Amino acid sequence: MVNEQNEKDVFVRAYTAMVLSRTFDKKIVMAQRQGRIGFYTPSIGQEATQVGLSMALDHDDVIFQYYRDVALMIHRGVPIEVILDQIMGNAEDESKGRQMPSHYTAKKYNFMSVQSPVATNLPLAVGAAYALRYQKKNTVVVATFGDGSTSTPDFHAAMNLAAVFNLPVIFLCENNGWAISLPTEKQTKVEISEKAAAYGMKGIKVDGNNFIETYKATMEAVERARSGKGPTLIDAISFRMGAHSTSDDPSKYRSQTVEEGSEKDPITVAEEQLKSLGYLNDSLIAKIKEESTKMVNDKFDIQEKIPAPVPSTMFDDVYAEKNWIIKEEEDDIL
Amino acid sequence: MVQALNSTLDHIMSGDNSVILLGEDIGKDGGVFRVTEGLQAKYGEERVIDTPLVELGIVGMSVGMSLMGVKAIPEIQFQDFIYTAFDQIINQMAKMRYRSGGGFTLPMVLRTPYGGGIKGGLYHSQSGEAYFAHTAGLVVVTPSNPYDAKGLLISSVESPDPVIFLEPKRLYRAAKIEVPDEDYRVKIGEAARPMEGDDLTIITYGAMVPTVLNTVKKNNLNADVLDLRTLLPMDVNAIISSAKKTGRVVIVHEAPRTLGMGAEISALISERAIEYLYAPILRVTGPDIPFPYRLEDYYMPGETRIMKAVKRVMEFR
Ligand SMILES: Cc1ncc(C[n+]2csc(CCOP(=O)(O)OP(=O)(O)O)c2C)c(N)n1
Ligand SMILES: [Mg+2]
Repeated sequence: MVNEQNEKDVFVRAYTAMVLSRTFDKKIVMAQRQGRIGFYTPSIGQEATQVGLSMALDHDDVIFQYYRDVALMIHRGVPIEVILDQIMGNAEDESKGRQMPSHYTAKKYNFMSVQSPVATNLPLAVGAAYALRYQKKNTVVVATFGDGSTSTPDFHAAMNLAAVFNLPVIFLCENNGWAISLPTEKQTKVEISEKAAAYGMKGIKVDGNNFIETYKATMEAVERARSGKGPTLIDAISFRMGAHSTSDDPSKYRSQTVEEGSEKDPITVAEEQLKSLGYLNDSLIAKIKEESTKMVNDKFDIQEKIPAPVPSTMFDDVYAEKNWIIKEEEDDIL
Repeated sequence: MVQALNSTLDHIMSGDNSVILLGEDIGKDGGVFRVTEGLQAKYGEERVIDTPLVELGIVGMSVGMSLMGVKAIPEIQFQDFIYTAFDQIINQMAKMRYRSGGGFTLPMVLRTPYGGGIKGGLYHSQSGEAYFAHTAGLVVVTPSNPYDAKGLLISSVESPDPVIFLEPKRLYRAAKIEVPDEDYRVKIGEAARPMEGDDLTIITYGAMVPTVLNTVKKNNLNADVLDLRTLLPMDVNAIISSAKKTGRVVIVHEAPRTLGMGAEISALISERAIEYLYAPILRVTGPDIPFPYRLEDYYMPGETRIMKAVKRVMEFR
């Protein structure tokens, strides 16, 4: 929680996480072009949303995140190495190189495991919230997802269930305006925050480019959840400044862009806010950016040397113990 | 293959006003694999629909359109994302003719890319053909080259029954072969025999066809190779006559072994031609594990594993 004593530290830490995430994104997109990485879904443009969310949560709160949550992970303290290992799919990756890049698992940090089929994490968040309440834990569960994901049956099912059971869940829609090539106005006829009313839950629309506003909105939802008042849907509006993924070419379907450093860039917004609060100045900003770049470059080079997982690992963890079928196939293949 | 599919869809749409395409990112973007590139610009947003992100809705709407005499060709962006639509496929699409006493029919073609080998990991690599081939009421086809892609697509659109059209995405950009401009059909239910031989039969389909053909050529095998092309209903005559001729059969597919297409093929042969066999029927398949990302090369059946099975059936006494 932010208060008068810690505000400067908390805000500067938030800004630093945003910068680190941005630096990381640019590095990975570049590395993909150089053939050093297979694929990536950048968070660029969504840093303020993710950091604002993270600021309102405790360590014990559980997050069913999606594939674009690097700033969220960084702010929550997940080491860059953990994120890199997943993207590289190397021997130290928590999911043992099994998942495509951007599909993170970070159990220690209460980050669940990312799947590709969008919004299928939402009903899981509802079930988790039910279980945690049953266990008398005062924990909040968060699910993140994109604007496009609100069209799915899973979104509907989860919203309805969470409201019916009055559960401590926060649905945080990272509304970046696009679902690959489809703009939000072609995805849905109403504001995403308005959908909440139909299920009987609170809906909040917030400027997702503003980390302080997103933090406040999330804090309101967290307090509602912890005091037994039920779920909240937050529609955090930002803009997908990059491509959908490294396989995507947005010039085919949109002319609209947000330039880095422009007033619509959430990092610029944060810089202006923190400068006017007197917490940052240009030289501090330059220092934070420089340190981020060095850190990302150094760590990338180190993690890149880690080899692929040994082939036999691909047969592990399908079950607690391998059945005869898998044993036989492993013997045949290796 | 992308080029052949694209021009065939174009050709079908220009000749038949009742055809409508719908799916995620198929319009402006031209599809994430570019199969529908340029079609929205040519035929308009009413006939090439960029839908919201909802597979269940895409398939359900297609069924409804087809009931009214519009031929819907929905695209599911990756076969791995089809499962929320499974209810619509199994309980509506597959059963409409039967449950209406033949009164309502569905001439629709559901296209979707499937299979691995593109570094897609768990959720962009699945080969779920057996789920569909297990469902009465569906026709299931999969081309292995641009020529068949065109001929099968035309036949599928003309089919009076709903078709699941599985596109082996690893072959989307594979070696180009000439595709004739004029109309032609590849008959549903008919396998191809891209190589003829007497020593053994190798039965395969989809993305594994080039792998098998290369293996056969490289190792100078005198093999009869069958490319099934239609998985439901399979070309039982081609399978049985080849098995009788060679007496040795290897089945190759990328999907997991357990209850995969190979199980059905093997059962058909043992029911109808067991007295002709000199060796057990062997399967070379993907293992029964989720599809891994970094180690995908170990997952995909390749020359080494195919040759191991070939040796075993050839040397069996
Ligand atoms: C069920 C499902 N269908 C299709 C896809 C393919 N796909 C991946 S991301 C995406 C768009 C998602 O848009 P949105 O929910 O707005 O999230 P964003 O990527 O913009 O953050 C699509 C269609 C998928 N992952 N899951
Ligand atoms: Mg989006």
